[in-house]
Amino acid sequence: MIRLDAVTMRYQAGSRPALRDVSLRIGEGEFVFLVGPSGSGKSTLLRLLLREERATSGLVTIDGVDLAAIPDRRVPLLRRTVGCVFQDFRLLPDRTVAGNVAFALDVIGRPRHVVRSVVPEVLALVGLAGKEKRYPDELSGGEQQRVAIARAFVGRPRVLLADEPTGNLDPATSEGIMQLLDAVNRTGTTVIMATHNAGLVDSRRRRVVELADGVVVRDERRGGYAQPQATDGPAPASQAAPGSVLTSREGG
Amino acid sequence: MRLGPLLAILFAGLRRNLAVTSAVVITAAVCLAMLGAGLLLRAQVRTVDGYLLNQLEVVVDLTDDITPAQRAGLMDALRAEPNVLAVRYESKEQVYERFKHDFRASPEVVAGVSPADLPAALRLQLADPRRGDEIVVGYTGWDGVEAVRDQQALLEPLYRVLNGFSVAAFSLAAVQAVASGALIYTMIRVSAHARRRETSIMRLVGATNATIRAPFVLECGLAGLAGGLVAGGALVAAKVFLVDGHFGHQTTFPLFGWDAVWLSAATVVAIGALAAAAMAVLALRRHLHA
Repeated sequence: MIRLDAVTMRYQAGSRPALRDVSLRIGEGEFVFLVGPSGSGKSTLLRLLLREERATSGLVTIDGVDLAAIPDRRVPLLRRTVGCVFQDFRLLPDRTVAGNVAFALDVIGRPRHVVRSVVPEVLALVGLAGKEKRYPDELSGGEQQRVAIARAFVGRPRVLLADEPTGNLDPATSEGIMQLLDAVNRTGTTVIMATHNAGLVDSRRRRVVELADGVVVRDERRGGYAQPQATDGPAPASQAAPGSVLTSREGG
Repeated sequence: MRLGPLLAILFAGLRRNLAVTSAVVITAAVCLAMLGAGLLLRAQVRTVDGYLLNQLEVVVDLTDDITPAQRAGLMDALRAEPNVLAVRYESKEQVYERFKHDFRASPEVVAGVSPADLPAALRLQLADPRRGDEIVVGYTGWDGVEAVRDQQALLEPLYRVLNGFSVAAFSLAAVQAVASGALIYTMIRVSAHARRRETSIMRLVGATNATIRAPFVLECGLAGLAGGLVAGGALVAAKVFLVDGHFGHQTTFPLFGWDAVWLSAATVVAIGALAAAAMAVLALRRHLHA
């Protein structure tokens, strides 16, 4: 479904690349943890999938569509199929919980009856039933992130990108958010989550893609946060995720 | 985007930007009132033109010693002019009668003049009274011609004053337009900054560029429209109180009518709304990145 072929991304000509020769395939309905130190290229990868940036070279496709070839005026249509949540929630402080979620549907022109029926449904799904009329500053961090997830999910995107969604949350709350993302994933939505939360990654044993200096150094089907001690370098072929291609210089 | 959510965003923005929006309304109103005043002055020039041009003639005063042959030759030459529709001879007696009529309010002037003091004349009706000066230049100095007078020349000072005022009004409108444009530019910059979170979310969830920009453009368009309505109101007030209530009693010249007022008011309202919206589109290119 999502495919990166030999993708290199430089923000400025001649600068150090944020991503270098990255190749990756992510299947429909997969859950992928994206790990690696700050500056390793995780956010850049997510920005490429949102078409906030175009790769300097290489190919980024979703469902076979080359994102770089999408004309600017068609980018909004792509973004309706790719939801996104961030560490800082990015809620509108002057709108209620329901208003924040409805906003995502309103601005893409969904009819009122759809907004009225879908928003309570999604708020119930994320565990915020009864808090529709609260304002963001009346909610805990975990609840605010649930609103953000509801807003990203309300349009039923095929892919949900989460950029360190638990970065501002305590461990118990993080676990709750993680369960919510699991639930979203179970609906068939592909979830790609960039995170520094080792506990969450280790507890799930999902596919882990590790980036370092813009290069994929590990792509494990049931990985942990840290590279296995026994293995030096990339994951053994037997553990590599099906369909994943490791062609980065360090990785290959 | 549906109208309801769009209006909600629009009015939230208007509330937040009330001070700057008011400033835009005021400068736009002054600018558009000046523009409207210029348009009305032009309408006044046209009104005076339409009223007087039909009555304007070129008058060729004849010397007392002109021979009938010279007069006939002169009339033939004038009739051959393409711009001359009709040539009418007025004897000294007829000129005196006209003089008495023109100065009927000043009997002391009439009393000092006899028919012998006035020259016989040829009165020319022109197809295009604006080109009377060609006749003046062409026939001054002919045998038997004392002077050639273009009555339109009498109106030149009036036209100069009206045109001067309209140029001044248009210039002031232009200066105000620059100020309004700068204010709208600032309004967009402030507004785009204040709403950057909202617009970034709109972009993320897949709102089109047009949707993201619409509230900004509508906000400026509404401010321009409000300025236009204030200016239009000022034009109507000027017609009621200044033109009809004041000048109407002081002059026998015809003054522009309500059709000119409505046309000018509609023009300034439309220009206000459209120009403000266009300026917003321009400013958004700079301050709102897609």
